[in-house]
Amino acid sequence: MASDEQSRIRVTEYLDLDVQQERWLCNRCGHEIGPARENYKKGCLLYDRDPREIHPPLVLAEFNFSPDPLWVRIVEIYCPGCGTQIETEYLPPGHPITWDIEIDLDSLKERLRKGELFIRAQRLEVAL
Amino acid sequence: MPIPTLAEKLEWLKPAKVSSHEEHCAKTLRQGDYEIGVQVTNDILDEAMEIFIRSSRSYFGVSGDSMVAIFTAGGDLINAACGTYLHAIIQPIVIKFILKYYSQNPGIHAGDIWYTNDALYGGIHNPDQVALMPVFHKGKLLAWTTAALHTTETGAIEPGGMPVSAKSRFEEGLNLPPIKIGENYQLRNDFLEFYSVYGLRAPAMFISDLRARCTTADRVRMRLLELVEKRGEEYLVGLLRKMLETAESGARQKIKSLPEGKFRAVLFNDAIGWTPALVRACYLTLTKKGEKLIFDFEGTSPENPSSYNVHSQAVVGHIANFMYEYVFHDLPICSSTFASIDFIFPPNIILNPDKSAATSCCVYIGMQCRNATHNSFAKMAFSCAGLWQQVTAAPGSQHTAQICAGLSQWKLAVSDVLSFSLNTQGQGGRAANDGMDSYGFAWCAFGRAPDSEQVESELPLTVMLSQHWKDSCGHGHHRGGSGAVQQWMIHKVSDMVSMCMGNGSKVPLGQPLFGGYASSTIPGISVRKPGLLDEMKKADSPLTMDLLDMLQKNTIQGDWKYELVARTPKVYQEGDLLFGFSGGGPGYGDPLERDAESVMEDLKKSIISDWTAENIYKIAYEPERRKIDVEKTKQQRLEERNARLARGVSFDRFHQEWNKKTPPKEALQFYGTWPDAKATGPVFRP
Repeated sequence: MASDEQSRIRVTEYLDLDVQQERWLCNRCGHEIGPARENYKKGCLLYDRDPREIHPPLVLAEFNFSPDPLWVRIVEIYCPGCGTQIETEYLPPGHPITWDIEIDLDSLKERLRKGELFIRAQRLEVAL
Repeated sequence: MPIPTLAEKLEWLKPAKVSSHEEHCAKTLRQGDYEIGVQVTNDILDEAMEIFIRSSRSYFGVSGDSMVAIFTAGGDLINAACGTYLHAIIQPIVIKFILKYYSQNPGIHAGDIWYTNDALYGGIHNPDQVALMPVFHKGKLLAWTTAALHTTETGAIEPGGMPVSAKSRFEEGLNLPPIKIGENYQLRNDFLEFYSVYGLRAPAMFISDLRARCTTADRVRMRLLELVEKRGEEYLVGLLRKMLETAESGARQKIKSLPEGKFRAVLFNDAIGWTPALVRACYLTLTKKGEKLIFDFEGTSPENPSSYNVHSQAVVGHIANFMYEYVFHDLPICSSTFASIDFIFPPNIILNPDKSAATSCCVYIGMQCRNATHNSFAKMAFSCAGLWQQVTAAPGSQHTAQICAGLSQWKLAVSDVLSFSLNTQGQGGRAANDGMDSYGFAWCAFGRAPDSEQVESELPLTVMLSQHWKDSCGHGHHRGGSGAVQQWMIHKVSDMVSMCMGNGSKVPLGQPLFGGYASSTIPGISVRKPGLLDEMKKADSPLTMDLLDMLQKNTIQGDWKYELVARTPKVYQEGDLLFGFSGGGPGYGDPLERDAESVMEDLKKSIISDWTAENIYKIAYEPERRKIDVEKTKQQRLEERNARLARGVSFDRFHQEWNKKTPPKEALQFYGTWPDAKATGPVFRP
């Protein structure tokens, strides 16, 4: 597990995990987002978006092809380094932000150590 | 003979204990026997599926929203033709119930035809009905065959089989526990008479579909017996056993390749029956531990007094739709693939209601469990070399499920769904590509949009337009597939009854993935007295058959009504218009990363609007020639990134404002406690 390349995996389109350093990183700019045992969203920038700005109403009516901003908001989650939109959540206003990824790092490290899994091109592969 | 408990049903999802005879038979297979045998079962099932589609009467049947399957003698599924995977994993429950409780009385014999549609006994909801036949050879039970199909009439308090007003099971019409409806390869006339006069609005459609199921199950039975005559009993028993073992082994390998951890997703619905209401329809914690996947639904809203509840095994059916479309797509459709998948359903949540609950519209809640699985699985599987390309946002799942009931132009009783706006939903954006436009039905990947001329010839309607619905897709690096719209005019009859099931008018249903946006919400639209036919006759009419023109340029007169998509039955007159929408798929990835040429292509195909190209994708271009200004586009995208950095705030600061907010109180009447969705009291049902 010498180099970054051998310890870094892609967990989402924009989120890398450095398994040895136990850090979340932006896949696009390399910005260090935060500790991997915590919710990566704690290290990001968040914005409460009115859904009508993305899904504009098509007609003047209560039901108008646009989400009701009193019922749902778009929480946009940005990389603080490059402004990439890492994730979005459509949530009722005030609803808790989801801790969506909680990887068992100890298990992952153990499986890598035992050779059960290995990392190639930032993906996990099962040893034959 | 108790109604099976949840524990019993979950246990019956697991493969039955292998007998020494089955083990022996599996060992006698020679080189190549297995591979050829699997293909033979595929061929048998494909033939039967074609028979099923051609024999069915209802539009779900005609569109192929169905499944034909083969099971072991012990009731485990070993292969199927779809249609829909919705029934794939859960039908063993029905067979194992019959084996446990009915082996002695009334007994299981060659030539039996069994039938059920009751979700308490293992189904999805009562429109989904299945015929089952045991396969006997020389007095020995070797296998079972089934044919399952959604028929849009059950004699409920509203037409169409999915009453949005039902408050309990007792308002949902026909609920049949597993029952023997035929003997000696003959349907019993007394049962057919019972179904005809039970109170079904369209008995001819119901009986035709019932016969189609039986014909289909019997064809599979006959083909299996031909195989036995050719290769022997031991060959069939061994083949079925080996298929179970191979599929289970393949599934375990895939699960093993995933990293351990917990992956969560939360999904909401915006309607309970025809009442706008917010519920946490699925709070999923998906845990990978060793060779196990555990789906835990703790945190989901409580059950409610409407038909928008779902019995737990039907949730498994919805998850099977995802697993077979994306994860187990290269394995035989065997229930053993779920051997290492466990489920936790806390009592009295919307996903595990009381036995008296109405569940006929369960699919609108169950779909959110499928959609939650898309997101949780994506975050578990994106790191895996063998699975990341299967990562896909949820399908478009909001739609207009419009029921057409009354007398047709042929004076025949009809009660059917207009399935175009179901079977043309957009696929979610994918890790390696856009979602497919109008890819299918979120509940049935292989469902086909029915032929418009056939619909017009059988139902009292004229289809005025069919087109992709601009900006219905979720935007993203890989956008979701486009949904579609049809406009129906009541025609050739003086009046017709129509109602609608569905949700997604106030809140988009599927969550997007990795920075994409969800797809558009849909209203319920009707127009009374539009005078459209007269307008079409005018030489100088400004009318175009374009949805946005109609909505925004007032090219059609009349009394326009925009409502919640779920609507109770109403009478419409000849000439009145209804609109049917299928939802687009949610988007995948940051829209600023979308290739500019792809955005121009979307404009060319009328999938998106100029507003979207300019404001969401930040493309600079000449509208006339659609020539991209590369440098200006680059600049606009950089400016948007900088704007994000300026307006985004830290997690803690965000919560200083966010934690003060709540949805309106009236939206939360069925939600449970805010925000953790605990039950606030018992549910009272009539």
